[in-house]
Amino acid sequence: MLADIRRLAGRISERFKRAYYGPTFRCPVCHFVLAAVDADGNGLLVCPVCGAVIEIEAVYGHIVPVVLDMELYRPQPKLRVHPMATHLPIGLFPVALLGVVTLLAATFLKRLGLVGAAPGGRLSVLASAVLVLLVVSVGASLATLASGLWDWNFRYRRRTYRQIRLKIACSIVFLALGAGAIALHASGLVFAASGLMRLDSAAGVAADFAYLAALAGDMVVLATLGHIGGTLVFGR
Amino acid sequence: MEFNLTPQQQERVEAAREFTREWISPNAAAHDRSGEFPLEICREAFKRGLMNSHIPKEYGGAHEAVLDHCMVMEELATGCSGIATAIDGNGLSQYPVILAGTDDQKRRFLAPMLDELMFSAYAVTEPEAGSDVARVKTTATKVGNDYVLNGVKWWITNGSVASWYFVLARTGEELTGFIVPAGSPGIVRGPKEINLGQHASNTVRVTLEDVKVPEANRLGAEGKGFDIAMATFNHTRPGVAAGANGITKAALNIALSYAKRRRTFDKKLISNQGISFKLAEMMTRLDAARFLTYKAAWLFDQGQDNAREAAQAKWFAADVAMSAAIECAQVLGGYGYTQEMPAEKLIRDAKIYQIYEGATEIQKMIIVSKLLRMREVH
Repeated sequence: MLADIRRLAGRISERFKRAYYGPTFRCPVCHFVLAAVDADGNGLLVCPVCGAVIEIEAVYGHIVPVVLDMELYRPQPKLRVHPMATHLPIGLFPVALLGVVTLLAATFLKRLGLVGAAPGGRLSVLASAVLVLLVVSVGASLATLASGLWDWNFRYRRRTYRQIRLKIACSIVFLALGAGAIALHASGLVFAASGLMRLDSAAGVAADFAYLAALAGDMVVLATLGHIGGTLVFGR
Repeated sequence: MEFNLTPQQQERVEAAREFTREWISPNAAAHDRSGEFPLEICREAFKRGLMNSHIPKEYGGAHEAVLDHCMVMEELATGCSGIATAIDGNGLSQYPVILAGTDDQKRRFLAPMLDELMFSAYAVTEPEAGSDVARVKTTATKVGNDYVLNGVKWWITNGSVASWYFVLARTGEELTGFIVPAGSPGIVRGPKEINLGQHASNTVRVTLEDVKVPEANRLGAEGKGFDIAMATFNHTRPGVAAGANGITKAALNIALSYAKRRRTFDKKLISNQGISFKLAEMMTRLDAARFLTYKAAWLFDQGQDNAREAAQAKWFAADVAMSAAIECAQVLGGYGYTQEMPAEKLIRDAKIYQIYEGATEIQKMIIVSKLLRMREVH
């Protein structure tokens, strides 16, 4: 079952990559996967990871990269704001999601009569903690986006790379979905005062679904962002 | 003597080249790394009429000439010889049926392969019988109207995906050919072998345990299996040589593209005579291998004996491909030794051409056997 899910996810991801990146090749120096469409009109591109200046030519559909030079001066921002800001949402968001899953499980167990009310209103505390975690992680992602754009401007010299475009798009999606989830959470439409999820009305169930979908979507986006970010640092 | 391609041949070659550029080359490295069978690519090749093209017209096929097939095969193998082998693997098992099958067998086993994507496999090699086919140990015992087959077939290309197999088995002292549906009880397909190269090609072990095959699936008369299996090679060896030529062409193209752009000692790599001569030699050897291949194919199409020429083409093209792949890596220098460039894959892929469908030494034995029958060579 798990293997099937992984295979399916792999297939979907492969299809997306093929459609989005088009023909790709690996940087012969750092092994970072580069999209041929990122080359300029002369077939030149600079690897964002290692700075190899590569000329590409397609022969019989095989992309043959030739390293012509190495770009040595690649400014690294002194404060490293982007790497630090990145890890705040990556670290906190999954914890918030775990809290939501716990609250969801508690709601169902309560509904089935398997557990009583949580003593001392612990679930409501957990719901509040989730909200705080969401606010911090989504809020920090604003700093991540801003510092990422700063890096792109200086370190990557505004060169367009498929990966960086995807990162920017994913960051915006993460912010939008995160903001939506926070708004739903804070509005009281999703959680009752007890901390349990509202399942007593159609509006409540719809709000729950929207909230969970936004969080799940954000988690996928965050994983994608983390993966792309990791390859931009380490190459392979 | 005519060296120009006909408009139809030109059209066919260009169609194969376009397919290679669009489907094979961009996916070659991924399939080489994963070892996944290129089913989607085969499906597209099937749609474009690049599979099963040699099936006779009366069974719905195009009855493509071997010469035309060689040109197509060269194009496909320029993209990836492993994927090309997966696409073309059917030919090896279909030809015994074309050669010795009854009308009923052709209708049952060849015609359906034109309706939907299906694979078949040539199951002759065994762990103890490779080049020496006469050592085949698999037995076929007559029981009523059926034969019961027992044995182990080894390194069977397309073995996991095949719908039927051409199986060579021993009926007493002689060898006999059978068409064995893959769904027959008693057939066990082994895991994919991890080979040196051609990772996209599916090679497995196929075990036959008390597999019942009706007499209607016997190919030709009892004891004619060895002749059928050997005659098949006269048809397929030019195609194998063409596959090797595809590797040579890929190696030459990659080396040329690299040498024209890479700079060393303040000049283009190709400006160094040591490098440019390698390219000149690769080009010349490729043409020589092509001419041998085309002649062997043309002779077959004319209905003439091409055993010697097919052996010459297969041996020479395989050696040329091997040396071209090594020279390609040499031109690329350190990059040629890495997995990020296609040269190392070409070396791994080329090696099998010196081994399968009769090792180089077997080809030379065939050539010598033909020479022994000649008083003088003209």
